[in-house]
Amino acid sequence: MRRAFAKLLGTWLLLLLLGALEFASSFLPLARCWRPLIMLPGVLMILAVAVSFMEVRKGPTIIRAFAAAAAFWLLILLALGSADPLTRIDYRLQTGEEHDATISSPP
Amino acid sequence: MASTAVAHDFQYSSPAHQAQTAIAGMWLFLATEVLLFGGLILCWIFSRHANQPGFDAGARETTLWIGTLNTALLVTSSFAYSVGLAFIRAGNARAMIWCLRAAVLLGMVFLALKFGLEWHRDFAEHLFPAAPQFKLHGAGQGGARLFFVFYFISTALHGVHMMVGIALVFWIIVRARRGAFSPLYHTPVQAVGLYWSFVDIVWLTLYPLIYLIGRG
Repeated sequence: MRRAFAKLLGTWLLLLLLGALEFASSFLPLARCWRPLIMLPGVLMILAVAVSFMEVRKGPTIIRAFAAAAAFWLLILLALGSADPLTRIDYRLQTGEEHDATISSPP
Repeated sequence: MASTAVAHDFQYSSPAHQAQTAIAGMWLFLATEVLLFGGLILCWIFSRHANQPGFDAGARETTLWIGTLNTALLVTSSFAYSVGLAFIRAGNARAMIWCLRAAVLLGMVFLALKFGLEWHRDFAEHLFPAAPQFKLHGAGQGGARLFFVFYFISTALHGVHMMVGIALVFWIIVRARRGAFSPLYHTPVQAVGLYWSFVDIVWLTLYPLIYLIGRG
């Protein structure tokens, strides 16, 4: 019991540390497109919860198969779903209003 | 409780086989939940990419301290539940009940902060996306409204999961008080613990998406 408690306590402290790191990293002056990298400590937190609190490494192999399948299909969903918006080039539409504004602007 | 410990349904070869099947079933259910929340994350990626300035302006209107405190509360709640599981494995049902009470109390504080305080403030400040006098104006207003659509749907969906989790933990506490669990039989405690930690994982994903990435 003492060993199990020490392990869980260590995980809890690690989670708080990673949470603080994630919070602090949100104040870094990163470009907008790089700001999702702030999630990296969060990903480590998720792994820590899965390994320590959810004991994904214990039990029958089918448990790890289900967990891996969930991660795999999530990856497929996000990769295929975001492929279009992240690779699309948006061209600005020349509207009549903009044209008029250009014409009416002082020389 | 010895009779409960050795009993198993006819289709299983042993109590251990039945327990493993129940836990595997819970993992399979959680895998479907990952895909449910995956769609939500995809919406975030799509909406933010197309409306970055407005979306980030919306994120800056969220209450950072409540989100951060709630993250610590949920992590601590998961920790308390896991310690409870360790206690029942060691044969101490009384200590487990106290740990589960702590876990459920932290979960209820989370809900009170989220819906009693934060949502109340959001509505008062006209941050509801369908509000006629939406707080944010200008070219990015559409993106900001989209952010708050994501914010309200994702936090509501997570809140519903929290409420289900709290009901389940209460059910475990009631059964534990009747002496239903022992070191040999505690499969429901373990299965509910998986769900409770999963709800924690969902929040660990939502926290940076809602509160952190749009700031700066």
